Amino acid sequence: MILLLQYTLIFASVLVLVALGGCFSEHSGVINIGLEGIMVMGALGGALTMKYLPPDLNAALVILIVILACVVVGMLFSLLLGVAAIRFNADQTLVGTALNLLGPAAAVVLVRAINMAEDINNVSTTVAYGTAKKAFTTNIGSFEFNWFMLVALLVLIASYIVLYKTRFGLRLCACGEHPQAADSVGINVYKMRYAGVLISGALGGLGGLVYITAGVSEWKFENGVAGFGFLALAVMIFGQWKPINIGLAALLFGLFRALSNVYTGFDVLVALNLPNTVYNMLPYIISLIVLVFVSGKSKAPKAEGIPYDKGQR
Amino acid sequence: MQTDRKRESLLRNSGVQTIIGSLLCIAIGLLIGYVVLLIINPAGAGGAIAAILKNYFYYPSHVAVLKYLGTTLVKASALLVCSLSVLFAWKVGLFNIGVAGQYVIGAGASLYCALGLGLPWYVCLIAAMVCAALVGGISGALKAYFNVNEVISCIMLNWIGLYAVNMLLNTVKEQSTPYTKSLASANSSALLPNVGLDKIFSNNEYVTIGIIFAVLAAIIVWVLLDRTKFGFELKATGLNKHAARYCGMREKRNIILAMMISGALAGLGAAVLFLCGIEQWMVQMTSIPAMGFNGIAAAFLGGSHPIGAIFSSYFIQHITSGGSYVDKAMYSAQISDLISAFIIYLCGFVFFFKGWLGRLLDKRDEKRAAAQEKGGKAQ
Amino acid sequence: MEQYAIEMLHITKKFPGIIANDDITLQLKKGEIHALLGENGAGKSTLMSVLFGLYQLEEGEIRKDGQTVTIHDPNDANALGIGMVHQHFKLVECFSVLDNIILGAETTRGGFLQKAEARKKVMALSEQYGLSVDPDAIIEDITVGMQQRTEILKMLYRDNEILIFDEPTAVLTPQEIQELMTIMKNLAAEGKSILFITHKLAEIMQVADRCTVLRKGKYIGTVDIKDSTPESLSAMMVGRDVNFVVEKAPVELGDVVLDVQHMTVASKHHKNNAVNDVSFQVRRGEIVCIAGIDGNGQTELVYGLSGLEPLKGGKITMNGVDITHLPIRKRLTNGMSHIPEDRHKHGLVLDYTLEDNIVLQRYFEPEFTSPMGFLKRKNIRSYAERLIEQYDVRSGQGPITKARSMSGGNQQKAIIAREIDKNPELLIAVQPTRGLDVGAIEYIHKQLVAQRDAGKGVLLVSLELDEVMNVSDRILVLYEGEIVGEFDPKQVSVEELGLYMAGSKRKEAQDRAN
Repeated sequence: MILLLQYTLIFASVLVLVALGGCFSEHSGVINIGLEGIMVMGALGGALTMKYLPPDLNAALVILIVILACVVVGMLFSLLLGVAAIRFNADQTLVGTALNLLGPAAAVVLVRAINMAEDINNVSTTVAYGTAKKAFTTNIGSFEFNWFMLVALLVLIASYIVLYKTRFGLRLCACGEHPQAADSVGINVYKMRYAGVLISGALGGLGGLVYITAGVSEWKFENGVAGFGFLALAVMIFGQWKPINIGLAALLFGLFRALSNVYTGFDVLVALNLPNTVYNMLPYIISLIVLVFVSGKSKAPKAEGIPYDKGQR
Repeated sequence: MQTDRKRESLLRNSGVQTIIGSLLCIAIGLLIGYVVLLIINPAGAGGAIAAILKNYFYYPSHVAVLKYLGTTLVKASALLVCSLSVLFAWKVGLFNIGVAGQYVIGAGASLYCALGLGLPWYVCLIAAMVCAALVGGISGALKAYFNVNEVISCIMLNWIGLYAVNMLLNTVKEQSTPYTKSLASANSSALLPNVGLDKIFSNNEYVTIGIIFAVLAAIIVWVLLDRTKFGFELKATGLNKHAARYCGMREKRNIILAMMISGALAGLGAAVLFLCGIEQWMVQMTSIPAMGFNGIAAAFLGGSHPIGAIFSSYFIQHITSGGSYVDKAMYSAQISDLISAFIIYLCGFVFFFKGWLGRLLDKRDEKRAAAQEKGGKAQ
Repeated sequence: MEQYAIEMLHITKKFPGIIANDDITLQLKKGEIHALLGENGAGKSTLMSVLFGLYQLEEGEIRKDGQTVTIHDPNDANALGIGMVHQHFKLVECFSVLDNIILGAETTRGGFLQKAEARKKVMALSEQYGLSVDPDAIIEDITVGMQQRTEILKMLYRDNEILIFDEPTAVLTPQEIQELMTIMKNLAAEGKSILFITHKLAEIMQVADRCTVLRKGKYIGTVDIKDSTPESLSAMMVGRDVNFVVEKAPVELGDVVLDVQHMTVASKHHKNNAVNDVSFQVRRGEIVCIAGIDGNGQTELVYGLSGLEPLKGGKITMNGVDITHLPIRKRLTNGMSHIPEDRHKHGLVLDYTLEDNIVLQRYFEPEFTSPMGFLKRKNIRSYAERLIEQYDVRSGQGPITKARSMSGGNQQKAIIAREIDKNPELLIAVQPTRGLDVGAIEYIHKQLVAQRDAGKGVLLVSLELDEVMNVSDRILVLYEGEIVGEFDPKQVSVEELGLYMAGSKRKEAQDRAN
């Protein structure tokens, strides 16, 4: 039971971070389908940093540096989307898809190159970050508390405040709803959209790191992040682009994802005698069903996906 | 002056602009790949890029070159059909990222019909198309009736499809390996007929009628979109679904039909690959095969035109296959995937490039007109 | 020397292929209401966009209080105290009134919004100028009039001294227009300088001090209103005498073409019905006009008739056939033609060629499609060429021109050609002249009358009272989804109609029957 709670919370943390990333980007008016790729790159940035950190560093410092690393890498990678979508009016879905392919491919090429440089026979796609990872967790009884759960909660609260209580949030949302209106009161729509995309890059990158460190073993980068970026988008839609709802949706999805890891611990579920694969499918099936129910009266930002062109009024 | 004009009117042609744009994408994509290789290990970068581009020309013998050309063609034909799937949906205003999952479903259906039910190849082929069409149809119906973004629903279905197919094909796998049984030994009637094509490619048994199916599919898609009433309706729906509805086209039906046809094409892509016996399915697969995603690259690189897709699919497959010839001591084969990904990314800029070219030509026209005016006044 | 708040001197602004503003001068005195008059396409909007920093001028200069200034973007304009109420409101629909007012000029402490202070200021301004609004209401829930007051408060909140109103009355009821006129006079009395863009002469006569007239991008002149008449202004605006009255023969009524009984259509925006229990008939040989302020159910009424929206209740009969549940295509092939309200949304596939757009309603007929489903391109071409010729549709490359690259007037002509050439029994025309110049409007009115004279039923939906009065044979006024009055245009005044359109008077069905 505690294990289920632990997995639910850690997966929910990933989903909340990434979904909030998508939320910021979409509120600024840019659809970020590329979160999956951003997660991979962020995870890579974090993993490599952990690998090269001196082993005897203070745990808090490790967490800080690693977070910084994946945030920066995620932001840089998301710039690829930002520049294409905002400066060059490229199709956001197409570019996002390219990012999703680019992320894992780049990660594999890079990780293999690094591994092979160290040992010519090592063609694996894992990064040796095992030791540094220990800094992230601390045991409370049998519950393995991961500091990223706290980070996710803080980010959730901060997102709520930023979106609803600050000037930045007000302006950001205006750009996603009615960019012409924002422009007419002197808001630089392009800048705000870059800000939205960069925040999504930062949170996506962080989410990627949390995802790969959630597992027991070191992550194989050839697997990407197994559609988690898209699950996060489903969470965002289910949460109707509102931070608090996104938090709740993430918990629900996290629970279903956690079930596939720990269902063997529940006699009821074992008695059902379903193949493991069914539990793997569960989060995706649930999100598909959820989408059917919430997409009809969608509260999506009105101008999302539409390139803003100053000339067109 | 006269030739200048001719050249410029040629440059204004949208098709020509697309071709130039695509070639630029390829050139820049390769250049970026080269730079990445340089960063990883400067010593072998030139060689590696050459290996990727040479692909089967790596072999000194004429016979081997032909044989591996055949293999590349087999895979390219599957890729071609996948890219047709993507561009068909795109013409109707849908981004079928689910091509990857529909491909998986096609693979599952054809292999299960072949190995589990012992059916002949044409039944397996049709089963693949029908099952994939149904999965595509789900996304279409969700879009039409529940306003579910097709990209998200397709992604979910991709993963559901992958796990479902793994589960299904687990029943027809070899005892000792995680791979499905080989078609040649288990049910040779399910193998696509060679119709003599294998002879051309140094007895490459994998070269089958599938290649012909793929090219035929491209031509059919072209005619369908360009010459028929159905294509007229589909494109109108894609360009402006409100107008399509206003003039009485059934836009919901069109969306579902388009996704079904798109799905059927993805299924066909899987069938022409798996039913020639070149690959077996690995039932512990945890990531979605790249074929479908490469189909997206090929579709956009080919200017989302069926005939363009023939060339772009071949090119993408050529460099993907070429990736396996890079010096493994220095680089990994995924460098090709990286280049393909960059090419898709760059395809996003083609539209901007076209607009920019148009404005450039306009400016030159204006300048010339101004110069002529001046000249006229001087006289 | 005169005190000018703003001077725009010899302004020239070119776009590819067109000179939108050619040497235009406009001088706005402090505390005056200055009208800017011109037809659609005369260059009013361009000139104001230059002043507001949305476009950059190519020649000429702008002076504020006698000093030359440069305005690069709306921020510069705002810093100079220039504010604008755009024709299409620039309001974020899901934001509250208060959020919209402060957007871009927020008071913050450490990045956090200080809404309490802003609210105090807004309430004070709203009291001072008589602009009643609810600061916490969400924009999409409030009336157009209140949205406009929000826009005005946006300018006042920024302490703007020069207020530009771009066609502010187009969306208002006659009563709301009167309120606005009062507000504008108040503002001027408090020392604000107002630029009022319009093409409605009556409003200028009522409220403006001076008027500058533009025509086809050129400056025609500036006059004092007290020395002018509507006729003199009109002559300046159009450059010739316009035949405001449409020539038409007396009505020859035929059978009933369209019979609508108790039609009800649900609304997408609110819980009430958009169209509520509406019954009326259209007969052959008459033009029936649905008059009303925008947003009173006209769109939904037409959607219900054409099949774009399902009915919640009621029955529609066309030519004796019950079409209530027929699909759109069946209605269109059984004698209904529909010139849609929004030609870009519904009327055209903008990225299709002109010829493909011309056959958009007929491509499936045997003349254009073979039994195998292949298009007969040759027939499509010759048909398109005939219509282009007959209806004088002008375009760059004839049938293969992309519809997107055509002018609005010619796009509309293409739609009208397509719909009329179908030889319909019933022609539904929704705001067919919106955004077109005088020449095109005359042409379209003639086509409508020709259809009526040929014995077709015509249902015209119009927001322009001039059009309603001149073209129709019978007027139905729609208010909040219900028909509140039926009139003969010869026996009703515009003022009377206005009262019905605003909902302050209504006739019950029995009264109408009598």
